[in-house]
Amino acid sequence: MPKLIRWRGGVAAWADDAFTAVDDDQPVPPGDVIVSLARFQREGRYLLSQSRNLGVRLASDEGPESLIVDLPRLSVLALTFPKFRDGRAYSAARIARERLAFAGELRAVGDVLLEMAVPLVRCGFDAIEPTDASTPEQWTRVAHRFRHVYQRAADGRAPAFAERDGV
Amino acid sequence: MYRYDEIDREMLADRAAEFRAQCARRLSGEMTEDQFKPLRLMNGLYLQLHAYMLRIAIPYGALRSDQMRMLAHVARTYDQGYGHFTTRTNLQLHWIKLRDAPDILDDLAKVGLHAIQTSGNCIRNLTADPHAGATAEEVDDPRIWAEVIRQWSTFHPEFTYLPRKFKIAVTASPKDRAAIRVYDIGLRLHRDDENALSFEVLVGGGLGRLPHLGPVIRQRLPVRHLLSYLQAVLRVYNRHGRRDNPNKARIKILVAALGPEEFARQVEEEWELTDKASVDLPSTELARIRAGFAPTGFETLSPVSTAFEAAKTFDRAFARFARRNVLTHKVPGYALVNVSLKAIGETPGDCSADQMDVIADLAERYSMNEVRVTYEQNLLLPHVKLDDVPAVHAALSAAGLATANINLISDIIACPGLDYCALANARAIPIAQDIARRFEDPALAETIGELKIKISGCINACGHHHVGHIGILGVDKKGEEFYQLTLGGSAEDDAALGQVLGPAVAADKVAPSIDRLVEVYLRERRQGERFIDTFRRAGLPVFKEAVYAEAH
Amino acid sequence: MKALTANRLIDGEVVFWTGADWSERFAAAVLFDDNTAAEAAEARAKSQITLLVDPYLIDVAEVEGGVAPVSYRERLRALGPTNRPDHGKQAAGGADIALLAHAHGAARSKGRVDLIRRK
Repeated sequence: MPKLIRWRGGVAAWADDAFTAVDDDQPVPPGDVIVSLARFQREGRYLLSQSRNLGVRLASDEGPESLIVDLPRLSVLALTFPKFRDGRAYSAARIARERLAFAGELRAVGDVLLEMAVPLVRCGFDAIEPTDASTPEQWTRVAHRFRHVYQRAADGRAPAFAERDGV
Repeated sequence: MYRYDEIDREMLADRAAEFRAQCARRLSGEMTEDQFKPLRLMNGLYLQLHAYMLRIAIPYGALRSDQMRMLAHVARTYDQGYGHFTTRTNLQLHWIKLRDAPDILDDLAKVGLHAIQTSGNCIRNLTADPHAGATAEEVDDPRIWAEVIRQWSTFHPEFTYLPRKFKIAVTASPKDRAAIRVYDIGLRLHRDDENALSFEVLVGGGLGRLPHLGPVIRQRLPVRHLLSYLQAVLRVYNRHGRRDNPNKARIKILVAALGPEEFARQVEEEWELTDKASVDLPSTELARIRAGFAPTGFETLSPVSTAFEAAKTFDRAFARFARRNVLTHKVPGYALVNVSLKAIGETPGDCSADQMDVIADLAERYSMNEVRVTYEQNLLLPHVKLDDVPAVHAALSAAGLATANINLISDIIACPGLDYCALANARAIPIAQDIARRFEDPALAETIGELKIKISGCINACGHHHVGHIGILGVDKKGEEFYQLTLGGSAEDDAALGQVLGPAVAADKVAPSIDRLVEVYLRERRQGERFIDTFRRAGLPVFKEAVYAEAH
Repeated sequence: MKALTANRLIDGEVVFWTGADWSERFAAAVLFDDNTAAEAAEARAKSQITLLVDPYLIDVAEVEGGVAPVSYRERLRALGPTNRPDHGKQAAGGADIALLAHAHGAARSKGRVDLIRRK
């Protein structure tokens, strides 16, 4: 089981991960699971009808719009960074949070490194599976590096122009 | 000029602190070079042939005198006492040490300078018309909008890891001095009959391996929707730009693959779903930024300056300087003074720390504290009283900065090339120097007239060779430096990509080939034709024959 | 024949493996006739991530008076930029600099080909 860090109230901490990530060729075990989009499209209705929490994992070329109907019923949306330089999941995250009003756990998986903390948090991620040796204390510190932001994103921080207006 | 407020300054300080922390994690081995490299690139730090290179941002090519002095200080303290102004109006320092980079960023931040996003797959430094605020041609000051976009694009969390680099240029004049046709996004301001401002939006221009002139994606965009529309463009690109091949990853590839109409449709579709009010700048903020660029302190002067006219009459060198380097300002009695960084035999675009200090002093004393950088690797003092031009010229002259060759044959754009750059195949600087020396006679250069030669040391085209009247591309042929010539390119309103003249020629044949081309032009030209005009009328064959006929 | 080069992480300086340490002078570089030994040295260098950036092997050949990198690019790295002879390693002058400056490329450089492939 990979490590999991969650954010609550601006602080990152180790979390127990109740979810099992299931590959497409594995049978779905009991309990809370995260499955691929393709698997969800095949078996999602059935999985949702059971009393378990369900998550869907999107590849970097898959969009949250494909889940628009079922998103409110998902506990976890896991967005993949195949390489940390592949920034497609940042757009997917903002769309999930800001446009589709996803209120569940938005998790970053794949090649997830400490120095991504600022854009991850700003785009609405609240859980990450780090692949380097970083700690929650480091994630908290890095995420708070910038006293101001210039633009609105999914984290609700007031942009600089709003601060200037005293709004 | 817009002055960074406390928030802007704290952004720079926080960024410098972040980079210091990232360097520490790299030096300790906590981060690999693979993990660190995108981060250091996003702070403008490249590893080049001889050392690290730091690319300092000069947003929309505008500097205050105190900022220019800081550049001189950094060049002196941390480098070899000079810098190189680039075709993206940034300053490059070629001899930087990683261990000094955090201190350099701290120093720069003191005067509102930085190296934020001058490299990396993110939105890069904004460029704009260098005559902004000084030309009667513009419908608005494009720097206002460049500053708006600069702030919005800085540390944008969604667009920090794009498929590739992203460059935006802004102009507000019918004459394009910002090369908007060859930018990822080119923006041109228009005013309609009701005096309302709007943008013409071009997307998908670029040079490099696969040059494109950017098509118009949206004829008119009300200026209040600039940021929400840019978000839509960037989001479509971030989601759909290619990630499999760095040579096919620019937005120009996506626009060409989809076709401009389909691309525009996807942008409109995304834009329609956007909560525009959450992205677009409130009018109060726009007004605040606009006020930062409001013209102040211009005196009411006669349009004719007796001192200026007298100097022209009695000093031939000054008369030439006035002819070539001085332009009419929108305010009567003022002028724009071009400062050539193309002294004959020098490295194009290079400027010593001492020269930077001279320019800073002149800017402070004579140009309302402002100096500009042009994408043609020259500088500009934008607000000089005609009365003061003789004194400015004298000071420039003493500092080797008064070469009267703006837009002439020796005003060559050249990238650093294989002398400095890890990407290059051939050197560009000695080629430029050879050509400049061959045509150093100012009278000859003026006889030839406007001729834009642009030299790149590799296909990445940082020297803009595709859009030179004469373009020169360095290639590696069996380990030797060869040069491919193109004719007929232009980066202005008559934008065009150059046509290949023939097989690449050896390094020592380049300047003689330029000689042949100039001979043909002088022979064939009709009244009032520049080189580019004669080429367009007469066609390639007569030029090709002159260069290659003897060779075989 | 090959030599091993890299840039020093802390300051970006071009360095060459001498067999015992890393020198700023090409003249001090150890020369490899044996590919296995060369690749072993390269692998060891690549593991030193807090000291070096991007170690790689370059082709060298005998020239008048000694040995020089085959590719022009590598000779520039060993010398400095041609527009500023007062900058870079070449500013020190001396016999080994003169040797590099007078060497000229012959056939297509394998070192250059490796570089292009890596790009």
